[in-house]
Amino acid sequence: MPYKALLAVAAMVAGVSGTIWLLSAENNGQFSALMPDNEPKPLPATRTRNTPLSPGGDSSRNATHGPSDNALGFMLASVADQYQQTIRYPDYSVPLSAAQADAYQGNRYHPVDLPLDGDGQFTVSLDKFRFTRGETIVVVAALSGRQTFGNRLSAALETASDQKPAASTVLKAAESAGYYEGTLSSDHEPGEYRLLVEAQVDGRPVRHASSLTIEPYLGDFEGLGTPYISGNDLVIPVEFSPESSGYYALSAQLYNGQQPLAQLQAETSMGGSSGTFELRAHGSVIANHTISGALQLRHLQIRQLPARPGDRTHYAFGPDEGYEFSPPDLDKLRDEPAVNPESEQRAALLQQLADKF
Amino acid sequence: MIKNKKQCLKKTTLSLALAGTLFTGAAQAQLAGHNVILVHGFMMDDLSNPPANFGEVQQAGAANWQDYWLNRSEARIDWASDGRVEGKIAQQAYQQLRQISQQGLCNNYCILVTHSTGDLVTRHILENQARWLQADGLQPLKILAVMDLAGAGGGTELADLAVSVAYNDSWYNWPVKAAVKAFTGIDPQPDKLGVVNDLQTNVARNLAVNPNAIPRLRFVGGGSSYGGITKPFIDGTDDGVVPTHSACGATSAQGIDSCSNNLSLAGKVSGQNGPSGLYYNHYPILMSEGANHGDAINNQTGNTAVPVVNNTVLGGLQVDFASRSYNKRAWWQLWGSGDRYLEVPNSSQTSLSNLLYTTLNN
Repeated sequence: MPYKALLAVAAMVAGVSGTIWLLSAENNGQFSALMPDNEPKPLPATRTRNTPLSPGGDSSRNATHGPSDNALGFMLASVADQYQQTIRYPDYSVPLSAAQADAYQGNRYHPVDLPLDGDGQFTVSLDKFRFTRGETIVVVAALSGRQTFGNRLSAALETASDQKPAASTVLKAAESAGYYEGTLSSDHEPGEYRLLVEAQVDGRPVRHASSLTIEPYLGDFEGLGTPYISGNDLVIPVEFSPESSGYYALSAQLYNGQQPLAQLQAETSMGGSSGTFELRAHGSVIANHTISGALQLRHLQIRQLPARPGDRTHYAFGPDEGYEFSPPDLDKLRDEPAVNPESEQRAALLQQLADKF
Repeated sequence: MIKNKKQCLKKTTLSLALAGTLFTGAAQAQLAGHNVILVHGFMMDDLSNPPANFGEVQQAGAANWQDYWLNRSEARIDWASDGRVEGKIAQQAYQQLRQISQQGLCNNYCILVTHSTGDLVTRHILENQARWLQADGLQPLKILAVMDLAGAGGGTELADLAVSVAYNDSWYNWPVKAAVKAFTGIDPQPDKLGVVNDLQTNVARNLAVNPNAIPRLRFVGGGSSYGGITKPFIDGTDDGVVPTHSACGATSAQGIDSCSNNLSLAGKVSGQNGPSGLYYNHYPILMSEGANHGDAINNQTGNTAVPVVNNTVLGGLQVDFASRSYNKRAWWQLWGSGDRYLEVPNSSQTSLSNLLYTTLNN
């Protein structure tokens, strides 16, 4: 019996302690053992003004006085600082984080959701947003929720500008429950189109509408010329035979194996039946990496830029597998800032602005 | 993005002289000594009642900025929302770019201030302006930076819904229809969506996205618009119209809750569902949980602004935030030091735009 009383008291004490802990502001709601290693650390509580600059520190401003207490001023100073770092890279060769490499691949399609009554969802996915005329458009739709759905969906393409029907098909139930799949032809006049997918939901039609584009044939990629070093650039010639003359921009991502190195861009006017883009990878995006073996150019995207305001930009894409090449000797490349007078002036002005704080 | 023209015009009748001119010429029309050029957002009335001429477009443009920025700018780029970014909007914008170039307003580097869809319009302009102007024998504009207030450059899920609602019969679930109507001001029709087409997340994120050298400074709200009826249909947090993924300049349309992985929109120092990455040269500067989509450009006070601090080391120096941070207990927390918050001190006593303007012109 005394044991039971002791147990009851212990339980009561534990209960009260637990409640106190729950109501305490120090309770962060997580077991410390479950806290990830990269959990944000509290911000520092001590200023270390007038401490010596680290070797990498590049702001002479701060050598004499530290960042101000003005929080917005601090942010502007921080932007000036970051911008000063980005202008090390010329516009035609900028470094890529993994997330930026995904984003700048171009031609990405994020699945589009349409809510249904309750918590149901009608989602349509494509593998890309822009289709070169003649490519097959694979449409995948998914339905979820408590409603009753028909066992097949219809899909149609119509022009976005005047709603003229262009193509239609039936999406059949896929192996996974709730998924439907079918294909449409993109052999239609280039331009923007609406993709309409219709489902029967509780016996009534619901249409999911989204956009895609059909791009004209712009020409053929003819492969790479021989890469070479010029100044502090690795120059990668990309041969292209345009269908028509115009002003074109080429972008591509430089990889070493699985590691994205840089987003490369070049623009040129093309008049004849063949032309060359000279993509340049600056030393600042290469010399600080250990390059092993071949390099790859991936996600090549050509844009025929609008000659006049109001014209559409037209897009074409390089081979899915990209190109692989053996680089020349890269030892001559240096991790040095690029020379870009306009960006340097911009950085100086931003710094001037930040110096006020 | 949304500015109801009728409401604006009701507030005050703008003189044609004011509305018809692009350039105010006021000495205060500068930020830190640089001319300011404004690019407005989506005007919903242009869908139901398209402007009859460019004079009406300019009149609406002036009304849009009237609360704060109109007299603090040197020029505006006005455009009609019944058009498309790569269509009529680019043509209208270019006519004004020509004038700005001819007048040399950007010879000493100008600052663009955009609101909402103005972010997307500006992206298209920046990609093409040099080539177009040079072809006409004019100087390209030199732009120091772009201040994107509630930028919609990554699109909004409300535009995705608007396109679907345009194709559905009237029985279609009414909360979605109500949200879309609040956003567009109309019962959408397939051929009457104008720039809303460009605001679909996939369309926006495939338009003129290549990196460039011009820094984009992002100012992000998290408040409620239209009584909150739009919020359930936007991924992650939002300002009632634009999702945070768009306003921050995140590289993906995945819903996020903050521009930072360690700071909430309200300034709470804690782990957040932040962006996995930001577009090149995009810099989130301030967030304000209470500011709704329109508050970014009006005189609304009472919203605390939070600096988007991802790195407390500047130029090799560790920065102390003790003077601009505070601890707060939740209502149910009876004791303890509470959660740590960051803020711009006294920011709730002024509007977001005024905070930006006065700080830069300090």
